[in-house]
Amino acid sequence: MNGGVAAGVIAGALVLALVSLIVAFRNRAMGMVLLIGFAVLEVAVLVQAGLAVAAAVAGEGPSDQVTLYGYLVGTAIIPPAGVVLALAERSRWGSAILAVAGFAIAVMTGRLLQIWQGVV
Amino acid sequence: MSRDENTGPSPRTTGRTGTDGRDPGPDASPGGGVERGGIGSGPGRALVAVYGLFALAAGARAAVQIATRFQEAPIAYTLSAFAAAVYILLTVALARGARRTALWAAGIELAGVLLIGTADLIDPAAFPDETVWSGYGRGYGFIPLVLPLVGLYWLLRKRR
Repeated sequence: MNGGVAAGVIAGALVLALVSLIVAFRNRAMGMVLLIGFAVLEVAVLVQAGLAVAAAVAGEGPSDQVTLYGYLVGTAIIPPAGVVLALAERSRWGSAILAVAGFAIAVMTGRLLQIWQGVV
Repeated sequence: MSRDENTGPSPRTTGRTGTDGRDPGPDASPGGGVERGGIGSGPGRALVAVYGLFALAAGARAAVQIATRFQEAPIAYTLSAFAAAVYILLTVALARGARRTALWAAGIELAGVLLIGTADLIDPAAFPDETVWSGYGRGYGFIPLVLPLVGLYWLLRKRR
């Protein structure tokens, strides 16, 4: 798995989580910046998933492929799900949801790297 | 999920009463200002998101465990699936505003995390592979222990 892409996803997701948290603390609903940010994050997550699947098909990666694919699907679902909920909840709590989503992507991508290296 | 929602450009500051057709409640808390709906809006919607995340995490974990190595630890994996079912039930109950169901599920969730956390401490051999509730949710930053408390607080606070 591409460590550079994963690092970028983790860093981006953490920045988005932090921005979402600040927006929530300022009592604002999700704005255009967060919407675009999470769209970009989703694209990055999908690129990462594509690279990981290609490498796994080529024979690289962990023996536990089921867990690997579970994490790839999970990370692909979370940003759009968070945005849908944030659109439904046009208040600071919608922004709080995005903070959770961003943090979850960062943690899951970290776990994804561990799984790929066979740590656990 | 996004039914009946205003996704227009203007941030919603009013009109969030009874999204789920359930007791809107008289309390407009001074903290948020907008959470006037049922248990599934305002902070409740953030709770729905977190429970949904855990439903996904626990459900995927249980599915993998049961599908690939159920014989190794049938009890632990069955409990894993049970935990996932509780999270899924809570997510749906909160989102749909089913307060009573959500209260029961959150109570079961709290009992489950305490029981499995304690059982895991006493007899680690019975749980060779972790569930979300093992070690009081240690593998998930103890969020599984805090979450039912937050959920119960939210549900009881929203009582008429």
